[in-house]
Amino acid sequence: MNQSFRALAIALLLLAMPLMAHHSFSAQYDSTKPIKLTGKVTKVEWTNPHIYFYIDVKDEKTGKVTTWALEMGSPNALMRLGWSRNSMKIDDVVNVEATLAKDGSNLANVRTVVLASNGKRLLAGSSEGTTP
Amino acid sequence: MKILFALLAGITVFCAIVHAQWVKVPTANTPLGADGKPNLTATAPRLPDGKPDLSGIWEPISPKYLRDLAADLKPGEVPYQPWAKALVDSRADGSHAREESDANCLPQGIPKIAAAPAPWKIIQSAGTIVILHEAFNLWRQVFLDGRQFAEDLNPSWLGYSIGKWDGDTLVVESKGFNGKTWLDQAGKPTTEALHVTERYRRKNFGTMEIQITIDDPKAYTKPWTVTEEVRLVLNTDLLEFICNENNRDLAHLPGNALQ
Repeated sequence: MNQSFRALAIALLLLAMPLMAHHSFSAQYDSTKPIKLTGKVTKVEWTNPHIYFYIDVKDEKTGKVTTWALEMGSPNALMRLGWSRNSMKIDDVVNVEATLAKDGSNLANVRTVVLASNGKRLLAGSSEGTTP
Repeated sequence: MKILFALLAGITVFCAIVHAQWVKVPTANTPLGADGKPNLTATAPRLPDGKPDLSGIWEPISPKYLRDLAADLKPGEVPYQPWAKALVDSRADGSHAREESDANCLPQGIPKIAAAPAPWKIIQSAGTIVILHEAFNLWRQVFLDGRQFAEDLNPSWLGYSIGKWDGDTLVVESKGFNGKTWLDQAGKPTTEALHVTERYRRKNFGTMEIQITIDDPKAYTKPWTVTEEVRLVLNTDLLEFICNENNRDLAHLPGNALQ
């Protein structure tokens, strides 16, 4: 039983491990700092080596709007996960689960994106052990 | 225990979806089990001349060798030269990540390129094996025509490779490296003296073992060996991957600019 759970824990860890094909993830992001963001998509860069998209997040108390840069896997990795370049559009409202950048900028590496309009959950190509 | 099985089932479904959603072109000549699904543990195929057929699209099973090529070795088993040990120690906290070649969209080097997550494709003929890497659209040629290394190889990122069969194992020797690549993201260095021996053995239809020996006497006091496994990827093909299109990450990585 313990062994099974250990195997499962490893499997889950592998799935959760962020996938940075071309550089060290841990040098750029702090895996101990998860963040949840909700905002409106302002720009999508469907480009190599990693997709970036940008959302405006409004602070409900102050009304202040902050722009966040959000990184995902490569276009190829996302296509293999079922995405296309049209999966997420400008002005879509998204709920994002991500990992904060270490350098303190408004940058995070995305684990999942949920489209607020239809609840569709999109994996971010950051799930290692499954696909590039 | 029920939860465990539910989670495992979830993972299995998730993994199946991942590859099912790409192009709907099934990989030819895939053995099927009684249930009609691909039988990845079937016997490895052979070419008409009897040699093992290694062709197909492959990917690492785990990212651990990308992060640490010596992941399966015990601490202290990598026989570093003192300067190499000091360098790896200085890179351990990620503070030099900007100096890694692939962070700059330059080639990963051997053997790291095969451990990186993008899939790679073996195209096999009697005289040459070509490995196409989706990662950065790179390629390797392994010459099986009996040629030897040239005397003064021009330093290169992926080296020059010659191969021969040892029974059912393909033995690939590579030299002529430029010493600018890291063996893994942990930062194990290489020099122009690097000589890599890879032994490819297709264990069954879906699994290939690669035994890798690093012989770089300027960085390591003796050759050292690790074994990785890669898995066949069905029903997909390679896609263009031009790394330097929009490399925004570099600005967020610590370290010096690459010289």
